[in-house]
Formats: sequence, C-alpha cells, structure tokens
Amino acid sequence: MEKRFRYSLATTLVCVSVGLAHADAALDTAQANSGNWAMQAGDNYNQRYSSLKQITAGNVDKLQVAWTFSTGVLRGHEGSPLVIGDMMYIHTPFPNNVFAVDLKTQEILWKHEPKQDSSVPSQMCCDTVNRGLAYGDGKIFLQRADSVLEALDAKSGKVVWSVTNGNPKLGAVNTNAPHVFEDKVITGISGGEWGVRGYITAYDIKTGKQVWRGYSTGPDAEMLMDPEKTMTWTDGKLAPVGKDSSLKTWKADQWKIGGGTTWGWFSYDKALGLVYYGTGNPSTWNPAQRPGDNKWSMSIWARDINNGKVKWVYQMTPHDEWDFDGINEMILADIDVKGKKTKALVHFDRNGFGYTLDRTNGALLVAEKFDPTVNWATHVGMKTGRPQVVAKYSTDKNGPDVNTKGVCPAALGSKDQQPATFHPKTGLFYVPTNHVCMDYEPFAIDYTAGQPYVGATLAMFPALNSHGGMGNFIAWDAGKGKIVWSKPEKFSVWSGALATAGDVIFYGTLEGYLKAVSLKDGKELWKFKTPSGIIGNVFTYLHGGKQYVGVYSGIGGWAGIGMAAGLEKDNDGLGAVGGYRDLQKYTALGGSLTVFAIPGK
Amino acid sequence: MLQPTLILSLIGVFASATVSANAISQDKPLYSVVEGYKVDNDTMQGFRTWRAAACDRCHGPNQEGMVGPSLIESLKVLTEDQFKAVVSEGRVEKGMPAWKTNEKVMTHLDQLYAYLKGRSDGAITRAKVVEMKR
Repeated sequence: MEKRFRYSLATTLVCVSVGLAHADAALDTAQANSGNWAMQAGDNYNQRYSSLKQITAGNVDKLQVAWTFSTGVLRGHEGSPLVIGDMMYIHTPFPNNVFAVDLKTQEILWKHEPKQDSSVPSQMCCDTVNRGLAYGDGKIFLQRADSVLEALDAKSGKVVWSVTNGNPKLGAVNTNAPHVFEDKVITGISGGEWGVRGYITAYDIKTGKQVWRGYSTGPDAEMLMDPEKTMTWTDGKLAPVGKDSSLKTWKADQWKIGGGTTWGWFSYDKALGLVYYGTGNPSTWNPAQRPGDNKWSMSIWARDINNGKVKWVYQMTPHDEWDFDGINEMILADIDVKGKKTKALVHFDRNGFGYTLDRTNGALLVAEKFDPTVNWATHVGMKTGRPQVVAKYSTDKNGPDVNTKGVCPAALGSKDQQPATFHPKTGLFYVPTNHVCMDYEPFAIDYTAGQPYVGATLAMFPALNSHGGMGNFIAWDAGKGKIVWSKPEKFSVWSGALATAGDVIFYGTLEGYLKAVSLKDGKELWKFKTPSGIIGNVFTYLHGGKQYVGVYSGIGGWAGIGMAAGLEKDNDGLGAVGGYRDLQKYTALGGSLTVFAIPGK
Repeated sequence: MLQPTLILSLIGVFASATVSANAISQDKPLYSVVEGYKVDNDTMQGFRTWRAAACDRCHGPNQEGMVGPSLIESLKVLTEDQFKAVVSEGRVEKGMPAWKTNEKVMTHLDQLYAYLKGRSDGAITRAKVVEMKR
C-alpha cells in the first residue's frame, strides 16, 4: 500500500504539471486484474461483465454455496461487495456498517460502524438502502445515508477524511454508491420527494476537498453549463443549449425546490474524459403545479471529469407527470448501431424507452420501448427527441384530484436502478425489468423545508393483458432497439445482472432465487434459493485460483416495500392477483451475503 | 369488506342517516360520514393532512400497511392519546418520523385522527373521501 501511495503521488505530480486528468493508480491496478471486483459495476463502463470463465453454461448447474455472511441488518440490501486481492469489503443498509473480510480465513479484519442520527431513515423515501462502496488510493469510500462521504483506510478502516455532502434535515440524503474516476470521488444526492435541488459533486481523492459541483437545475453557472458550448439534441441535430436553458423552463423560482436528484450509477470514458449519469424527477409529483419542461430534470448528462463542465445533455421526459426518474445507469459500449460502429451510451429509462446515444456528442440514435406494454407515450420523435404523450395518460391534462388509470409503466418504471449488463460477444444487453402499471392521482401540495413534497397518490398492479407476472428479464439489441428474448418473472427483477465470459448471465429475484440463464435464449440453467429476496447486484471474483459468484439477499427497497400489502386497487374485487402481496409467501426480511463456487478443484 | 360497506350504504339510502362517532368529552361527533365517503369538513381536513404528509408511502394508499403497519388495525388498538403521541414523537427506530416539527400535521392532529379512526372503524369505506354538501 505504501509503495502504491508513492507511485500514485508521483503520477499525480506528473499529471499536474501537464494539466491532464490524473489517474488513480491503485484503482487502475486493481481494475486491470480481472480476479478483482474493484468497482460496483466491475469497470468504468458500467458493463457488469467479467472475463472470468471457469463457471460456464456447461457446468453452472454444479454451483454450490461456498460460504455465507450475515450483515446483521434487516431491510433492503442493494449493490454488492468489492473484492481487491485477498480482501472483501461488505456494506449494509442504514446504519451503513462496513466489514473488511479476509478471504483466506473469512475473518473480519476491521469493522466500521458510523454513528448517524436515528431520524435520518425517516427522510429516506424508499427504504434505507445503500448501493455500495468504492475503492481507490488505498481507501474505501462510504457514502452514508446522512450524506457524509467517508474515506476509510483500506487496511485499518480508520477514517482518513470525511465531508458532508448535503443537509439531511432538508431531505438531502444519500443512497447511491460513490464512484472513483481518476483522482476524484464522484457522488450524487437523493431527496426528489423532499424538493431537494439535485447536484453531482467531485471530491479530491486525497483530501476530500470539493473540486466541483454541478446542479441539475438553475442558472447556467451553477449547472456548469456553457450556453454556447454545451450541446443538446435539437431538431434532428446537435445545437447549443443557449442561455438560461433551465431557468426558462420553470415558473418563477420553482427550480430551487425542483428535484433532479442524482442517486444512480455513474460511468466514465477515460479516452473522452467524460462522466455520464442521469437526473431524477422534478418535484412535486403534481405536474400541474410546475408548468414547463422542468429542465434539466429527467436528463442524461456528460460532464468533463476535470471541471464538471457539461459537454452535452439530453432530456428524456420533459415535464414529467409520472415520476419516471432518469437516474438509471448509463452503459458505455462500442457497438453496431444501425450498421455503423458507434461509441454508444445505452440507457434503459424508468419511462420504458431504451435509449442509444452517441456518447462522444450526445446525438440521439435509438429510442424504443423495451416493454411492449408501455402506453404513456406512442413513441419518441427522433427529430425532436421528445416523447409523444398519450392524452388519456397525461396526469397533467387530467389534472389534480383526478385519478389517471392504467398508466404503464408504474412510477417504479419499466426498470429502476437495478443495473443491466452487456456481453461483448453478443453485443447485447441483458436487462432486469419491471412489468407493473399504475393509477396516479396528483393533488396540490405546499412546500415546507424538510417535509415530504410528493403530491400524488399511487396504486400499482401487474401489467394487464400480459403474463400476470410483475417482471421480465430481457435481452436487448441497442443498435436496433429490439427485444431479442424475454423471460417472464413472477415479480419485478430488482437485482443487478452479471454477464461472464463463461457465457452465463446471472440475476436475482424478489423471491430470493439466484438464477443463471443461457446467453442464447434466457433458458434457466440453475437456481438457488437464498435466505431472503434479492435486490442486490451479482458479482464475481477469483480467489486462490478459483472463480466465485456472490450476491446479497435482503428484501426491501421500493419493490420490497410493496410486499407487505397495500398495493391492491381500491374497489377492485380482483385485487392485484399475483401482485407483490404474494411475495410474503416466499420471503421475509434478512440481510446476508451468499457466495457460490463449483466444488473441488 | 364488502358487506359492511353495503349495510352502511343501505342505511344511508333508506334512512338518510349519518354515521357518526362520538369523541370523548365532546358533543360534536368525531367524524360524520354518508355513503361511506362523504365526510364533514374536519374529517376532510384529516384526509388532506394524511395526503400532504405522504403517509401512504409507508402505510399504503388504503391505510392497510406497506413497510409501515396497517392503520386500520393500529387504530383498533391505540387510544386517541397514544395515536397522537406516536405521530408527534415518532417511532424513530422503526422508521416512523417524529412529526412534531411539522406544523401542518400538528395543527390537524385531531382531524387526522378522526379520518383514520373512521377508516379503522369501517365507517369510511374508501381512502379517498370528499366533503359532504350541507
């Protein structure tokens, strides 16, 4: 570690002198070793692909439990552990404990138990989840719920530095994983249901000093937007966003409490020096109350890693009327798009459209439904880049105190934060999805600082006139915008998928199954029932020359919240047949890690 | 659920009766409801408070519980004073916020109780209510 530190320091000095982005040597080294799982997505590109191939489609049915670990915390377990060399770093939901486990002995070498205000969970909209840790510069980074970002010494667990990223008393809390790109720790903010004005922040990896912060809404300078140089898709081509591109799309000062929070997964293209992410819903959920496009909520962003300046931005859902947060991961892949080799950015939005953009400049290439039941819009106009909203499903047109019925997808989206995976061999994306629709009734609400600012009542139910289940696991051709195969699931698939060079795709289910399916057609090759429902992300690593696959179980999150009841429709004798209520038959709360391997050599 | 609804509706139709419940030491009924969903002004205010504070995100759109408990059941057990104590002080370790700093909730605590008690009693037969015309 000492040696690494010196090397890293030397690199830093060199880079400072030439003014380039300076890489974090420790993370680069860790990432280069495919036996590690050094980042939440395995790489900068959010591909969730591993080149390990001891476990194959041919032998995956021999997988058995190698070891397990109880986290000691109930509630929803999202994200995954990290593996660097002989060490595994395990995290928990609130209170956000961290365990450093020696993989040789499974001994806990250190434990970090942050002391956080017990009132923080009540400021969290959708369970007390945490999407995991980051590694770099010999440190483990923990983004606590109360917004404090901590850098822990990877060897001892001691706090090296910590910084407060927001004010939890105003609802600015955190659930996202921090990300290390170059010599910076990038993190977002939650609180769209509390009227928090979203932002993304880069902190210096050595000191925790803020390097830049870019807001999602408001004046150009605070968004780090250049009216002449920041580009957006306009009338079939890229054009500058122009002056006050956000301010013009809000009534008066509403942008100050206008949401656009940033709680998803970030990705990074080293060659372009750009960091990619999405922004969430505009606040409130009552759209009639906030006329305008509400820019730049619900948008895909590309920012310069060094100074945060916005290279390009694209708004997917102008003037959101359904809570279709745009925060889902941006997957970077070089694929064939309509016959042309493209440096693509692929994104599966809550709104049910799968977007493919040219990540070098933000050009819109493909926008197609990845669930055929999506009905709120007929299509996305490829010239305007705007969805064509169906009047019947417009909660704005129907207005406050009117229940807009049968909108697909539901607010939790055709897909939520649960990340998809990319397999370079097929060039396809493998996507965990929700198959849920809703009734949505907005109502007028006043803003009070630190209090919920929601303004809509929702009822969710399985997609009608379909297979009755609430999820699908699909393979998607992002170059064509077409579903290649679709495997129905009884419940939403709320687990991040993993693709491996062994030609196996892994994902978890809300009932608690870890499943392995065939790359070719989604055929189930193996499954195992873990202790609780899975909303965590599958990961893999090599230790002692052997490949392991692991996943957290621990039901919760927004999907799990629905499990207890209450998702039945009012005055509906049929109720939610096959709905989340049924989940109680399969699982109860519990937080644990289960690690699998093929027995023997 | 269907049967009590039906009975109450029938009473409403044939006798034009108003279902009311008496609050302790008050002459005015705790809540008044006709046809299961048309309520007096105070109970309506209770519904608005329920909605504005987004209680449904934990307790469910129909008060039947989600990550938080069913209030239909809870209010069969809790007294009015206990209910008010839980709302203002919270059950922080279980995720129930302390609402004592929320002026809107605290000034309408009586009305909120009236609305939820009406739901729990089965007199208010659906979550969404409207104000009865005088």
